[in-house]
Amino acid sequence: MKIVVPWLRELVEVPVGTPELADTLGLRGFEVAEVDRARDVIDFEITANRPDCQSVIGIAREVSAAFDTPLRPIDAGPVARAAADPATAATVTIEDPVGCPRYVGQVVRVAIGPSPGWLADRLLAAGVRPINNVVDVTNYVLLEIGQPMHAFDLERLAGRAVRVRRARPGETLTTLDGQARTLAPDMLVIADAERPQAIAGVMGGAASEVGDRTRLVLLESACFQAASVRRTSRQLALKTEASIRFERGVDPGAPLVGIERACTLLVRIGAGEPIGQALDRHPAPPAPRAVRLRRARLSGLLGFEIEAADVERILPRLGFTLAREADGWTVGVPTFRGDVTREVDLIEEVGRHVGYDRVPETFPVLDRVQRGLDPRAGWDRLARRVLAGAGAFETMSFAFIERAAAEPFVADEPDTLVAIANPLSEKFAVLRPSLLPGLVDAVGYNRRRERRDARLFETGRCFSTRIAERRRVAFAWTGAAADEHWSGTARAVDFFDARGLVETLCQAFGAAIDCVPAERPYLVAGRTAEVRLASSGTTIGVLGQLSPAVAAARDLPAGDEVYVAELDLEPLGRAAAALADLRVQPLPRHPSVVRDLSLELDERLPAAAVRGTIRQAAPETLASVREFDRYQGTGVPEGRVSLSFRLTFRDPERTLTDAEVQQAMDRIVAAVTAAHGATRR
Amino acid sequence: MTDPASLERVRAEFLDELARAASDADLRALRDRYLGRKSGVVTSVMKAVAAAPAGDRPALGRLANELKRDIDARIAERREALAALGSAIPRVDVTLPGRQPLTGRCHPLTQMRERIEEIFLRMGYEVVEGPELEDDYHNFEALNMPADHPARDMQDTLYLAAPVVSESHTATVLRTHTSGMQIRYMQAHQPPVRIVSPGRVYRRDNFDLTHTPMFSQVEGLVVGEGVTLGDLKGTLASFARDFFGPDTAVRFRPSFFPYTEPSAELDVSCFQCGGRGCGVCKRTGWLEVLGSGMVHPAVFEAVGYDPERYTGFAFGMGIERVALLKYGVDDIRQFYEGDLRFLEQFPA
Ligand SMILES: [Zn+2]
Repeated sequence: MKIVVPWLRELVEVPVGTPELADTLGLRGFEVAEVDRARDVIDFEITANRPDCQSVIGIAREVSAAFDTPLRPIDAGPVARAAADPATAATVTIEDPVGCPRYVGQVVRVAIGPSPGWLADRLLAAGVRPINNVVDVTNYVLLEIGQPMHAFDLERLAGRAVRVRRARPGETLTTLDGQARTLAPDMLVIADAERPQAIAGVMGGAASEVGDRTRLVLLESACFQAASVRRTSRQLALKTEASIRFERGVDPGAPLVGIERACTLLVRIGAGEPIGQALDRHPAPPAPRAVRLRRARLSGLLGFEIEAADVERILPRLGFTLAREADGWTVGVPTFRGDVTREVDLIEEVGRHVGYDRVPETFPVLDRVQRGLDPRAGWDRLARRVLAGAGAFETMSFAFIERAAAEPFVADEPDTLVAIANPLSEKFAVLRPSLLPGLVDAVGYNRRRERRDARLFETGRCFSTRIAERRRVAFAWTGAAADEHWSGTARAVDFFDARGLVETLCQAFGAAIDCVPAERPYLVAGRTAEVRLASSGTTIGVLGQLSPAVAAARDLPAGDEVYVAELDLEPLGRAAAALADLRVQPLPRHPSVVRDLSLELDERLPAAAVRGTIRQAAPETLASVREFDRYQGTGVPEGRVSLSFRLTFRDPERTLTDAEVQQAMDRIVAAVTAAHGATRR
Repeated sequence: MTDPASLERVRAEFLDELARAASDADLRALRDRYLGRKSGVVTSVMKAVAAAPAGDRPALGRLANELKRDIDARIAERREALAALGSAIPRVDVTLPGRQPLTGRCHPLTQMRERIEEIFLRMGYEVVEGPELEDDYHNFEALNMPADHPARDMQDTLYLAAPVVSESHTATVLRTHTSGMQIRYMQAHQPPVRIVSPGRVYRRDNFDLTHTPMFSQVEGLVVGEGVTLGDLKGTLASFARDFFGPDTAVRFRPSFFPYTEPSAELDVSCFQCGGRGCGVCKRTGWLEVLGSGMVHPAVFEAVGYDPERYTGFAFGMGIERVALLKYGVDDIRQFYEGDLRFLEQFPA
């Protein structure tokens, strides 16, 4: 709201210069967007609760309270009228008193012409384009007292009638901006005897627009229901100075003042003469409102002692009336303060004019221990710490992505994608079903900027129509497994680097996992695994190499191997909760015996199957079994593989004998031979 | 059988072996071999001297003692020489670069969010998280923003094309703030309440240098008996001094939020210029960082708290905005691109 300071000074005594005025009001709740020293204009940002301050008079009241100076009255008539004349008489009927609680019409005989310089200049300074004297006066009143007004060419209104009603199905109206608009039945219109002539509170119609040849106007000064104007303005995507004020709520006491002020100005600038009395339709004037203000509550909420004198100085300056009570006041609320309905609203009025700089810095009493970090936030933290510690960089990507980026990840159930009704653009059309599309794009972003190596991870929510939202962690890894070094340790990342990272991550949550061959449309067949909890067999995620087709679709360089994994955090978090019951194992007191076992096997046989057979055949003293070598080539027949296991035997109570271990080894060899056709090498 | 010539042969043998000794261990073995108490070569010689004819004994004894001292001294000398040379273990070029373990980092917004969480955890707050897909009630209505309320314009909302049903609710919007979690928390707990709710929020905002349609927030809520605006100011001032530095000045300005009354913005003195005025603070010396206020009684009524008995305060801040200011980032979109050249600049 651009406030022209000389205009403001007409309405209130301002004891300071413009910069100090701006600073003072800035600390009273009116943020200053700009001070135009040349034109002496301050542009205030008016919060949604203060439609009364979308006007010079509203700001003047704040100045009055801030500096304790009196308001100066506005000349708002009443002006002398020409006698009513049946030839010019208009009728005003409110058919929808909910949508329009009050409507004041005034017939004025006008001589259309340009406004005088002072009036045009003032409008220009406030950012409003002058049009003609009559329209300019309605705009002047709007800016001055915040009452939106409209002028109809009365002779264009069929039957010289104004009927405030809902639009009828199929009705149309060409508005002042030249747009032909189809009206919906819930839109409030100003109609004449036949058709809509204006969209109530939003914009007038072109047909009844005031022009050079207009001789009679009907001035409209009305009150329209905020919700109705807001709905209509939204539906039509049409915001105007009037609609902005109406949808925040205007003063039901202002319409008649608006008419009188407009008539005063029209007479003063020689633009017109009102005919007959104002037609004030106000079927159910609201009862005066009063709100109690208790001194104890006032000081209790603000946190410091407020003097009664402060209350009795500030509130009347803002337009409230006070009646003393034993414990405080009964406060009469003026009609222009629709936002004040409760005691706290009054407390704020007093508080901000006493000054928030006087509020002390105290601390709320803490009388019990709080629970600390949400465990789910703790899972995120743990996952991030492990992955960052293991060399990956955390990225954040938008939760909404383009449909094409999402679809490969839900190829088997595309209708589970959650779509946004009003996306900013097609790039943000659906909610991510997986963290991987964002990571893949981030990898691509880096690859296109000469980064060969990228290890990225993200934690966040994924969405689907079936599960709503789910917390996940995911990573993508391409390029080097280890940094290039002069000692020659550089190596490209492969499946087992990615799997190792998944294992490390799950270990941190205390979860042992199995990787089971699987298929996913976005991962390379034969290099894809489901990650399952060893304890329950529950699938918690997926791991594998990104399919070249998906990579190509997201503009990744051809030939890049990108390994990805994505895990649900909820089951991991539950596993981590079990760590709270951790009990340590006693340390071994007897030496262990280590035996290596090299087997020649069918190359398609999963190592996990062999490991399983070994465990089954072994006595309880087998403490661990781990693959340590895998070899194909010279000496191993085609289609076979040499796989070597290191077996560790240990008994907690005694030292094992060679014979015992040998017996166990023999049983194991017999079992793998029988189960897998293995031969010992 | 002992005579001066045999003593000289022992000395020659010793010198020969000494020349071949290349390490401390070799020297220890050599010393054992010649001077060992039980079977050392020189020890045997000494025994032989004792058995020699009495006339030869003094001369032979003198020669044997001299041999023993000589061997002892030469071993010590050789040990020092070896130590001076360094051991026989091959040297390395210590000026070559080391083999670093892979190192990664948490995102700067995560680091900032955790710092904020830690400050409030220290002040005795609980950190709670809530759903990102919200229903109209928790995102708006319970927060004193009924349908058609103009304040809904303050947060341009992204709507779901179709409602999404979960165990707890039927979501229709992407949350525009994390305040919905505060409603959920109050519905489930009686006062006193002392929580912060961090998380990602969504607005149908322009996508430009300072706005993204998704960003991160931390909101806080304190409810109890006798909680005052002064408590709010004190809490936020303490937070600001902890987060922005001990010399930070704070300023409280009246504002408007539908769910608080009275409402206030918290400005902190510009950490770039210390309040003198610069480009970062647009010459004002102040940076607006937090929105806050006393919880509106309508919010308490919505969750079934007695507004006569309980008062409280709420506050919220955008993490990106603070990060932009703090790190001098000029394009907010960089936080969401995953550019390693950007991410690598932040400390681990
Ligand atoms: Zn500055």
